Amino acid sequence: MNLLTVIVLLPLAGFVLNGLLGRRLGPTFVSVVGCGLPILAFLATLEAFSTLQLTGPDAALIEHAYQWAAVGDRTFDVAFYFDRLSAVMTLIVTGVGSLIHVYSTGYMKGDASYARYFAYLNLFLFFMLTLVLGRSLLVCFVGWEGVGLASYLLIGFWFEDPAKAAAGKKAFITNRIGDAGFLLGLFLLYHVLGTLNMDEINAAFGGPVAPAVSASLVGVLLFIGATGKSAQIPLHVWLPDAMAGPTPVSALIHAATMVTAGVYLVARMHGIYEHAPLASQVVAVIGVMTAFFAATIALVQTDIKKVLAYSTVSQLGLMFVALGVGAYGVAVFHVYTHAFFKACLFLGAGSVIHALGGEQDIRKMGGLARRIPVTFVTFAIATAAIAGIPPLAGFFSKDEILWFAFASGYGGSTLLWVVGSATALMTSFYMFRLLWLTFLTPSRMTHEVEHHVHESPWSMTGVLVVLAFLSAVGGFVHVPEFLEPVLPLATARESLEHYEHTLVYVAVAVAVAGFLAATWLYRGGLAKGDALAARFPRLHRVLGGKYFIDELYDAVLGRPLHWVSDRVFLRAGDRFVIDGTLHGLAATTRRVAGRLGSIETGQLQWYVAMAVLGIVGCLAWVWRHV
Amino acid sequence: MADLQVLLWLSFVLFGIGLVGVMVRRNALVMLMCMELMLNAVILALVVFSLRTATLSGTVLVFLIFVVAAAEIAIAIPIVLMLSRQKRSLDVEGYDSLKG
Amino acid sequence: MSIDTVLLYFFVVAALAGGVLMLVAQHPMRVALALIAVMLSLAGVYAMLGVHAVAVFQVLIYVGAVMVFMVYVIMLLDVRDPSFVVRYGRLLLPGVALGTLLATVLGLGMAQMRVTPAAAGVETPSYLVRPFSQEFLQQYWLHFELTSVLLVAAVVAAIAVIKSGRRQDG
Repeated sequence: MNLLTVIVLLPLAGFVLNGLLGRRLGPTFVSVVGCGLPILAFLATLEAFSTLQLTGPDAALIEHAYQWAAVGDRTFDVAFYFDRLSAVMTLIVTGVGSLIHVYSTGYMKGDASYARYFAYLNLFLFFMLTLVLGRSLLVCFVGWEGVGLASYLLIGFWFEDPAKAAAGKKAFITNRIGDAGFLLGLFLLYHVLGTLNMDEINAAFGGPVAPAVSASLVGVLLFIGATGKSAQIPLHVWLPDAMAGPTPVSALIHAATMVTAGVYLVARMHGIYEHAPLASQVVAVIGVMTAFFAATIALVQTDIKKVLAYSTVSQLGLMFVALGVGAYGVAVFHVYTHAFFKACLFLGAGSVIHALGGEQDIRKMGGLARRIPVTFVTFAIATAAIAGIPPLAGFFSKDEILWFAFASGYGGSTLLWVVGSATALMTSFYMFRLLWLTFLTPSRMTHEVEHHVHESPWSMTGVLVVLAFLSAVGGFVHVPEFLEPVLPLATARESLEHYEHTLVYVAVAVAVAGFLAATWLYRGGLAKGDALAARFPRLHRVLGGKYFIDELYDAVLGRPLHWVSDRVFLRAGDRFVIDGTLHGLAATTRRVAGRLGSIETGQLQWYVAMAVLGIVGCLAWVWRHV
Repeated sequence: MADLQVLLWLSFVLFGIGLVGVMVRRNALVMLMCMELMLNAVILALVVFSLRTATLSGTVLVFLIFVVAAAEIAIAIPIVLMLSRQKRSLDVEGYDSLKG
Repeated sequence: MSIDTVLLYFFVVAALAGGVLMLVAQHPMRVALALIAVMLSLAGVYAMLGVHAVAVFQVLIYVGAVMVFMVYVIMLLDVRDPSFVVRYGRLLLPGVALGTLLATVLGLGMAQMRVTPAAAGVETPSYLVRPFSQEFLQQYWLHFELTSVLLVAAVVAAIAVIKSGRRQDG
């Protein structure tokens, strides 16, 4: 039985059904199909997973679904590859995906484009599953582009608003830059190895004869692709804007699954990175920089979703740190825990926004804990999880990342650890700031908004409870050890082994310190925070302006491009040369015709005279040449 | 047979007279008659060529021209009649409806 | 100089004179008479040359049919307008100049050409009416019959023109 193919095709069926029939058959049909098929896919994944468990720790299920193309004696197959790494990713995608589908039935209730929403969401799942299950990097790339498309469609879901449509475009275009790097990497790999199957590439790089290509070059090219999809510096700019989409979309695509595709790609191609210390270093440095800078920006954001978006960027940075120091399993572990608590946070934020009728500014919230208690409790658990309070899920994965950043024998350093810990401190701080300002401080809502506050329906709160539960206990599953047969862990340097317990205490202390600082600063409301901002106005402006990266890109790339397009291509090229030529031709024709028209006098004898003139010319010519 | 040369020159001159007549005369009927003159000049040339080559084909062409001339006049005269009825004039310089 | 040659040259000169008269005569009727003179002279020329068939039909068709028709129309159209009083149009000078130009060019070509007599030994076909007609209808009967199609077309066209004119008149 082609279980893997079924897993991939189920959401596609949902897309087709919802896309073609959804509008006609009404929201009940859409909800059943839209949620039912992902849940079926999840069950099928569980089935495949149990089969895999029976086969052995480093085994893989391989399914050839279709021969895509044959060039000469080489073939490109659509094949699916299911080992423990894909299994974890598929479980996250289908599991969290199904939960968010269920949540969406409540959140999107009554939207005019309900069917379109679920069609897109199912389409996204289809492409995401293609991405994580594809055996060939080519199939993976199809999924990679496909999720980009789905992301674009969903960010710009309310495309009537030009700002939202623009955010979708920005995400798409930024991703294209990364995709170019990914594609170049693919070309290089195929040129050298003649195959794009991930397992074969990994084997080739780990084999006795090293491939005739610099592993670092390939690694960096693939990582460029990953920076685009996973919003790392310098391509991180699209993710905060992507919050223009519906909140469940932010939770599913821009927090739990799609943005971790870059992490998955690097982990999947670990065979290359294990032999590319330079590329790994690049990954670690970019990762830690992204983590740190995104965290600093998150400190001052006032939009609840923007805070979470920057927090996502920051957490993704931490995952790349783990990848960069050779702790691939740990990175996937963080993907796994992050999927739970970040999805929970986003969905909680969605619940808050839902309750407040669309308000997203945390300065206008406060005091919601008693009004929407379920949302508050789940949000608080997820906050504690992301902040790294033991024994919640985030603590385990983050602690392991910091430990490997410090002690890994493959590029770990004290500096990485220090910056990573500073990030963790800030994470804890801004997350608790968010919690305080949203739920606990005295209400700053307008009277009208306050009047409407209501707890969300059970379809939303139920999902929140499940996710909060998973955020709480998810850390007890030892994902890195589970993945070790397929994803080797870097060994810690022995000289540093004895710091392990110390670091755990430090990590806990950091998390608690962040909590205490946020409590001290924001328990009473906005006053103290504003005072602090007033004392450092310049710093506050830089952070509030997100380091003005968008403005920088606009000045360095956008405006010159615009100038060149406008002046060279539009005005000089299109309007002057092309239009000018055509208009010139037309005007010349008209002018000549005007002149020639005066020959046509209507006088019969004049015509005869002209004809005679022509005959004379012809005869003269004939006489000369006969 | 210097005669044939002379006759060819005659044909040439008559043709020229006819052509100039078509160009310069103002009356539509006169123009038509000048065209008949041109046709006659051509017939003369054909007869000369037929005699020179000692074949029949030239004279056959002459008979075809007779037919064409008859057909031409059969159509041209009604057209002139129509024109004169419409414009109340046979002055070709008054016929300028096709002016560009 | 035989009487035949004299007559031939007489007809040549008469044709020439008639042509010139056509150019300078004012009234269309005079032009028509001049044209009839040219045609009759040419018929004489053909007769002198021994091409009797052509000579006969020149008189029958041209003078007998075409020109009678023409004269009849001239008499019918009793229109009085400048074209009956003024001989020449605006294009007199350009027309004459162009005619001269064409004559020069054609004349240059003609001057280089010498019409030599038919080669000796070639039998000249007879242009007497009876043998000519037999020869003609044996060899070229198809062409001759096809011209009837042209005539039918001309008749239909003439009727169409007249009818469209009537319809315009109401």
